[in-house]
Amino acid sequence: MPSRSICGVLALAGLCAGAAHAAAVLKIDLPKDSPVVVLSADPGDSSETARGGAMLLDLHAMLSLRNSTQRRIRGVTLVVTAQDVTPGGKGSVSIASDVGPEETFPVRVDLRLLRPLQGSANVPVSIGLDGVLFEDLSFYGPDKLSSRRTMTLAEFEARRDRKYFKSLLAEGGPERLRQEIVESMARQADRPSLDVQVVRGGRATNLEAEKQVQFAFLKLPDSPVEPTEGVARIAGNEVRAPRLEVKNRSDRAIRYLEMGWILRDHSGGEFLAGSVPAELNLAPGQKSPILESTTLKFPQRGSSTLAIEGMTGFISSVEYADGTVWIPSRTDLGSVELQRVIGPSGEEQRLVQIYRKKGIRALVAELNKF
Amino acid sequence: MKHPSETQLALLAGGDLAGYRERWRVARHVAQCGDCQAEMNSLRDASEQVRGLAAELPKDLNWNRLAGEMTGNIRVGLAAGEAIARFDKPAARRLRLGWNAALVLTCATAVFLVAFWISLPQPQAEHLMAAFKRIRTERIGSFVRTPAPPQDEVVLEATSSSIEVKENGRTMSLTHPHSDGATVSVSLQGSAGVRYVDADTGQVTTNKVYYAEP
Repeated sequence: MPSRSICGVLALAGLCAGAAHAAAVLKIDLPKDSPVVVLSADPGDSSETARGGAMLLDLHAMLSLRNSTQRRIRGVTLVVTAQDVTPGGKGSVSIASDVGPEETFPVRVDLRLLRPLQGSANVPVSIGLDGVLFEDLSFYGPDKLSSRRTMTLAEFEARRDRKYFKSLLAEGGPERLRQEIVESMARQADRPSLDVQVVRGGRATNLEAEKQVQFAFLKLPDSPVEPTEGVARIAGNEVRAPRLEVKNRSDRAIRYLEMGWILRDHSGGEFLAGSVPAELNLAPGQKSPILESTTLKFPQRGSSTLAIEGMTGFISSVEYADGTVWIPSRTDLGSVELQRVIGPSGEEQRLVQIYRKKGIRALVAELNKF
Repeated sequence: MKHPSETQLALLAGGDLAGYRERWRVARHVAQCGDCQAEMNSLRDASEQVRGLAAELPKDLNWNRLAGEMTGNIRVGLAAGEAIARFDKPAARRLRLGWNAALVLTCATAVFLVAFWISLPQPQAEHLMAAFKRIRTERIGSFVRTPAPPQDEVVLEATSSSIEVKENGRTMSLTHPHSDGATVSVSLQGSAGVRYVDADTGQVTTNKVYYAEP
């Protein structure tokens, strides 16, 4: 019986680059009864170098984990912390994969820490477990980062998309499947993306005058939540303090929802800016406000500055009080407004990559596994 | 008729006019001249008032000592006035020069600081501000007990190459391979994430960074 507890301390000592010399310590600490165990941790080409007045730690670790249970795992989330560098911040690495009993799987951790030169030479980077999602949607872990919800939503999206592609395969054979995959690749290539900053404080720093802009809403027919009104303040390339109101139109209580946020610039281009999540307790038929004080800032790219003109919101996911979730259907996502800005699910991206690398036969074989 | 002088009248009123002939001549004139008689009566009244005031002074008053002290005080005052007069003029010139120099130095310092701040790259500026903040909050004792006003601060950043959480000029980034399929997202509750398919493992990987409010 392999030990289910591994507290490995991997000293990446002597990682020298140039004149700089430093050492970093990677500490992997999983619970004793963890359903996954660490088989190895390869530091790869990690390095620590001096950059001006700061030290830069580049950590490229490849962990090898094993499913030590007799159940299939669908997702694992590891939490990454560096208390000496960012005491208030942390990171996570989640893997969505189908791992059978006793199978091994890799997890790559590419981490970069920038800290002042003064201070201790060693920067302990801790890796722990936040959660494991099984095929039957049961969950193990402390869930401090709400990874249960995140991985459950991802699993629902994966099941929805596999079902969709399998239905295409059943209807039109591999050619119909290929056609849809190619269209998906084209959409991914055309999808605009933006760099985004989350600014704490809420004061608009843009020189342009601030204006209050009303949200427009995309109504998804099957959504259990209906956004009724919303405003946010916009100044140039900054948007802040969204205030929304939603109504539960289902017959079940809702404890969490997420609203996607699409921005439109002065030239008519649309971008998915982010999401407005809300933990709430929304009884059937009840309305609730959603208030956020955070500011989103879209840095200038090259010579062009984003000038935000309008906003559109849509309900992107809902979690009921009993833990079950709602996500938009493929029909909902097929609307013109959403299709040009919403990225594909992780599963759709994975299936597209299988087609790219191995062809349509491999894709059909992959779909038939489920 | 020639009137006697005011001094002669005053001495006659006080009984101090010397010489019998002189005293007789002035007294005879006063008896015949109304103006001089009125003047002498006035002098006699004043003399009576002085005698009355003198009667109120302490009996053992040492007039010589009082006169000496008054003379000494007057001399000290005159000496001090001369000393201040000598000191004031050059001091005033030095003060004006000092203020001018301070003004020039202040302006030069301000110009230097503004130029320095403008030319400083943003990360270094943020780092410097964070260092000042740390000095303020760690080394000035009770002053830190007054909470600093909240300042805008970029705490999360999501770009096509990495996601970062920043704190006091320090950064933790999770990097990912450059990929056309990477989907970047931020949540207003304090997280930034990127999702991509790892080319080596074929797994859907989601990296996130979180910022916890203090």
